[in-house]
Amino acid sequence: MHIRLYPYVLLLMSGLYLSTGCKKPFMPPAISAPTHFLVVDGFINAGAGGVTTILLSRTRSLVDTLPNIPETHAQVSIEDQAGGSFPLQEQGTNGTYLSQPLQLNPSGQYRLAITTADGSSYQSDFVNCKLTPPIDSVTWQQPGDLTISVSTHDPANSTHYYRWDYKETWEYHAQLETPWGLKNGIIFATDSTNQTYKCWSTVGSSNILLGSSSSLSQDVIYELPIEVIPQNDERLAVRYSMLLEQYALTLDAYNYWQTVQKNSQQLGTLFDLQPSQVTGNIHALSGSGQPVIGYVSASSVQQQRIFIYETQLTGWLANPSGGYGCPLSQTPVDPNNFTIFTDTDPNDAPYYFITGGPLVVSKKPCLDCTYNGGTNIKPSFW
Amino acid sequence: MRHPHLLWLICCLLLTAVWQTAPGQRPAEISGDFEGYSFSRLVEQIEARTPYRFFYDSTQTDSLVIHVSGSHLLIRDLLDLVFRQTDFHYAIDPEGRIFVIRKFPIQSSLPPHYFDPGNPSRAPGGLPEELNGPEDAGPVKDRLKVSPENKLFDIGSPTARQAGNRAVIAGYLRDVKSGEPIIGATVYVDSPAVIATTDQFGYYSLSLPRGKHLIKISAFGMKPTRRQVILHSDGKLNIELQEYVASLKAVVVTAKKGSGPRSIQMGVNRLTIKTIKQVPVVFGEADVLKVVLTLPGVTSVGESSNGFNVRGGSTDQNLILFNDATIYNPSHLFGFFSAFNPDVVKGIELYKSAIPEKYGGRLSSVLDVSIRDGNNKKWSGSAGIGPLTSKITLEGPIKKEKTSLIAAVRTTYSDWLLKAIPDNSYSKSSANFYDVNFHLTHIANARNTLYLTGYMSQDRFNLNNDTTYKYANKNLNLKWKHIFNNSLFAVLTAGVDHYQYAVSSTQNPVNAYQLGFDISQLYVRADFSYAPSNRHTFSYGLNTMRYQLNPGSFNPIGPRSLIVQNTVPTEQALESALYLGDQYSVSSNLSVNAGIRYSLFNYLGPHDVYNYSPGLPRETVTLQDTSHYPGGKAIKTYHGPEFRFSMRYTLSDNASLKFSFNTLQQYIHLLSNTTTISPTDIWKLSDPHIAPQQGNQLSLGYYHNFRSNMFETSVEVYYKQLHNYLDYKSGASLVLNHHIETDVFTTRGKAYGIELLVKKTAGKVNGWLSYTFSRTFLKQDDPLAGELINGGRYYPASFDKPHNLNFIGNYRFSHRYSLSVNLIYSTGRPITIPIAVYNVGGSSTLYYSERNQYRIPDYFRSDISVNLDGNHRVKQKTHNSWSAGIYNVTGRQNAYSVYFIQENGKVKGYQLSIFGTLIPFVTYNIKF
Repeated sequence: MHIRLYPYVLLLMSGLYLSTGCKKPFMPPAISAPTHFLVVDGFINAGAGGVTTILLSRTRSLVDTLPNIPETHAQVSIEDQAGGSFPLQEQGTNGTYLSQPLQLNPSGQYRLAITTADGSSYQSDFVNCKLTPPIDSVTWQQPGDLTISVSTHDPANSTHYYRWDYKETWEYHAQLETPWGLKNGIIFATDSTNQTYKCWSTVGSSNILLGSSSSLSQDVIYELPIEVIPQNDERLAVRYSMLLEQYALTLDAYNYWQTVQKNSQQLGTLFDLQPSQVTGNIHALSGSGQPVIGYVSASSVQQQRIFIYETQLTGWLANPSGGYGCPLSQTPVDPNNFTIFTDTDPNDAPYYFITGGPLVVSKKPCLDCTYNGGTNIKPSFW
Repeated sequence: MRHPHLLWLICCLLLTAVWQTAPGQRPAEISGDFEGYSFSRLVEQIEARTPYRFFYDSTQTDSLVIHVSGSHLLIRDLLDLVFRQTDFHYAIDPEGRIFVIRKFPIQSSLPPHYFDPGNPSRAPGGLPEELNGPEDAGPVKDRLKVSPENKLFDIGSPTARQAGNRAVIAGYLRDVKSGEPIIGATVYVDSPAVIATTDQFGYYSLSLPRGKHLIKISAFGMKPTRRQVILHSDGKLNIELQEYVASLKAVVVTAKKGSGPRSIQMGVNRLTIKTIKQVPVVFGEADVLKVVLTLPGVTSVGESSNGFNVRGGSTDQNLILFNDATIYNPSHLFGFFSAFNPDVVKGIELYKSAIPEKYGGRLSSVLDVSIRDGNNKKWSGSAGIGPLTSKITLEGPIKKEKTSLIAAVRTTYSDWLLKAIPDNSYSKSSANFYDVNFHLTHIANARNTLYLTGYMSQDRFNLNNDTTYKYANKNLNLKWKHIFNNSLFAVLTAGVDHYQYAVSSTQNPVNAYQLGFDISQLYVRADFSYAPSNRHTFSYGLNTMRYQLNPGSFNPIGPRSLIVQNTVPTEQALESALYLGDQYSVSSNLSVNAGIRYSLFNYLGPHDVYNYSPGLPRETVTLQDTSHYPGGKAIKTYHGPEFRFSMRYTLSDNASLKFSFNTLQQYIHLLSNTTTISPTDIWKLSDPHIAPQQGNQLSLGYYHNFRSNMFETSVEVYYKQLHNYLDYKSGASLVLNHHIETDVFTTRGKAYGIELLVKKTAGKVNGWLSYTFSRTFLKQDDPLAGELINGGRYYPASFDKPHNLNFIGNYRFSHRYSLSVNLIYSTGRPITIPIAVYNVGGSSTLYYSERNQYRIPDYFRSDISVNLDGNHRVKQKTHNSWSAGIYNVTGRQNAYSVYFIQENGKVKGYQLSIFGTLIPFVTYNIKF
């Protein structure tokens, strides 16, 4: 037997530094460069008397911390093929531009023209107006998680591609109900305008919702889920409402939104989607070749609002707002003026008076529902 | 008792005719059917059954095939039958020794009174030429031992009736020490110019005019040798070569000397394990793939990545064969090591342009890694202990010169290395692998050889104690080589290949999951090689392979996991092919190789196939219905011819022009998720929606050797067209996708490039410098297939790397000290990166660049190593050598992967380098 021993490898341990620098930031110039491309969000409202709302903003670089860079002082107008122009007025400072209620011709073609404050001009392609068919129903299913679905159809079989967005509003209550308010150290009795027990929160949809009937023999969308609320979610602690808006899309617009939808997914996991470039229908006129993000389509809008009471649900055990322990303590009442709040803890607020005794106090988030982001003014539709 | 050189002893035997007294009073009888036996096997049989002992020269008798059977034959009757119609003679002496010799009649004893000084019959001046005494065997043998180079071999029988004036000489080239076959050696005759190359079994076959010839043999790392033959009729000549013990010149790179421009093959690189072991690599472990990456036209997408790219092809377009077994994942431990244990590898061949018709199923290249046969003469072993891996190899004859085995195990314990990394996230990680090889060779007889080969490897790594990745290759095959006659042989192979991976995470018990993928293939192939004359060598055969592929399964782990099980249905297919090729020497200057391969692919049930609205892009919204196909039903069939053509025109002794044109089909596609830290690759079979990839390649090369082959230079240019190469739609989801056809589209592609190679094969300074310029572009301009990528223009493929420069250099200060240097540069691969964030429709979204418009940083690495050999005395107890070196001398942090993750609501890009610094290493080799 002939045995060889090889290769006997010795590693110079002292020389081994499998570096601390294995992972380092990769920031090619393109990533940190302040490329602020124009972003156009909105559509031309072709419904009778429709108001067109356009949001203008700028892209942020990956290292920016700002949540939004609004584009202000721009000239925005809707143009038709005959040379007619319908200007939009800037509203506020967050890059919102609104038109007058317009009577656009549903069989006409329209485009959006933008001139920004720095003098650059942008234009969208001319687009056909799509007539959005009405929403047939907004329905929900339970038990377990609550699924809200939309059904619609186009008897003319000409829509096929749909987008929705919604605003959801829900009523919620403070953990403890008190008739008292506190302002500048003075206790006062609340009324319906400044009560702190009932609040309403309103949030817009943050997902891009798309649907298509193109593979069906009829233009029907039946019970397409648009929102799933996990069981026991606080939004249904009392009463919930959703205002759903429906827009008809062209195929082009649908593809654009689909790409945006995919790009908004998370990064860095095994199940990641492949990256993709978004190409809209808006172009820079100055020939700078600078990309413009956004797809302007023209359609009417259909909407429907639904309400759901917690009592309609089965097995829904929503935690009250706050969701944490609300310790009670007592503070003496000023014998001269019971409205003077003697508790020095800035987090405390009055709960109730014990007859002839001290004031019971608790934490402000337990007593004031506005601490959880809602408003205490009842919405008009409620 | 056989001895190859005993002829000379026999020649000088003192013999007398004592036939009558032959083995005296023991007339042994022999019965049996010896039909088809070789002479040596017959001898074995007789020696086993009788007291007779044979003395003969096996180089003379190896072309003798026995056609005798009978019962109760006396030895003389048997031998008379055996040697009937041949020019062999035999004699039996009183001790029962049988001497067999050709041409000259033998006397087994001296004439009476021979030693009587007064005998006039004694030849003056000593012994008669043809006689010698057995008692003188030792010293006389030594004195008269003739190197086979100076000997004249008679091939075939002068009396054999054979039509035509040509005859075929064939045989095996083997290593004289280990009996291992020598692959890819050139066997040639200068006039007429005839060349043959030994195949994977070391087998060659030359068709020559009858008469005297000088056959020259050159092989990598072996001493060049020659044989003088007189060719009478078809016959056999086995040639044993000696290892080229570094007689102090460059050992290996001289290998191709004298054959480079003459070989017809184009775009082929052959390397022996010796060459591979010379290239300095990290941790001193010889690595097949690392060396392949230094060849012109071969690039990789990044450091430590799986696989490689050949001439602008993707990694899935390489067929990686380990002794005919397909290896789906050829790397270990993030690609630090290749899956091939260098101790069992014999060598590699990489076909880049003229892919032999025998191979198919991949578009870019065939990397054929051959496995060593075990030493069939004696048992030996080797063991190695290293900082990362340990291995043991054992080889030897189970039955001497008949059955040999080589088995090797390699494993790693690299966890300590990860723990040594100061970064916390690595110290919680672990990584290990093992691989096991065995290879059994059984020479049943001169015509039949069997090979059984098994391979298994497994990798497991865990990054930051969270996600565990595992993958495994398992391969087993059985080969039977049968030689019909000198001009025709066949190899029948059957085997099974399996590859699987699994990703699991158990950190969060509620989300604990395992994601799995596997592919199995079962195959049978028959390959024939027929060389009716020297001008033609036909190869033909057929093969079929059954695939079974599980595209993905997602399962919960543990009782608390709420993961919902999700399994993408299994896919089955059958891929079959028939091929025929001819290598034709038109004249001494021009040879042509033309072949056709017809391949057929059936996508089989049971499977559910989604149907999409005709005339619309395949999207989930255009999905109409599902068709169910029962088991075994052919759901979709693709077939088509593939053409292989190459030619060589010799311009002079030192220069030649080569041209090749190939068309290929590939029925399996790789989908690689490149956006994550660790890519997860899924293979996909062609199906009703995904057509097979097709490619054509045109290449032209000029080869010139200078200074008596000390410098080899070559220029090759190529142009490729690709059809149906898969790329991903924007936002494609690849993992667990039940309808992958909605997320991919097919592209048209083109690739072109030029490869320059300068190789110095001898002298104090040797090595090679290769430069490759290669581009690959894809195009998706069919609106019906989905979105247009980059506006329908050509865009660079994700593996497009224009500039690649490799330098491998050796400098020998003296015969014992040498210095090796590697320099490697390449352009970074293209990527698509997010360049901005914006809000529309209420959601925050990333804005990506156009596809593949940016590149990761360029790759550059330099390694240096010094080798110190012990003294060169051949006979000493131990042979020692040291090598010390530094991997990545400049400490450059080359990017292994680039990825983007969201951290605190912000998107951050990272590049991960594996060897972010220089790594010194010392290796001590000892053989004893």
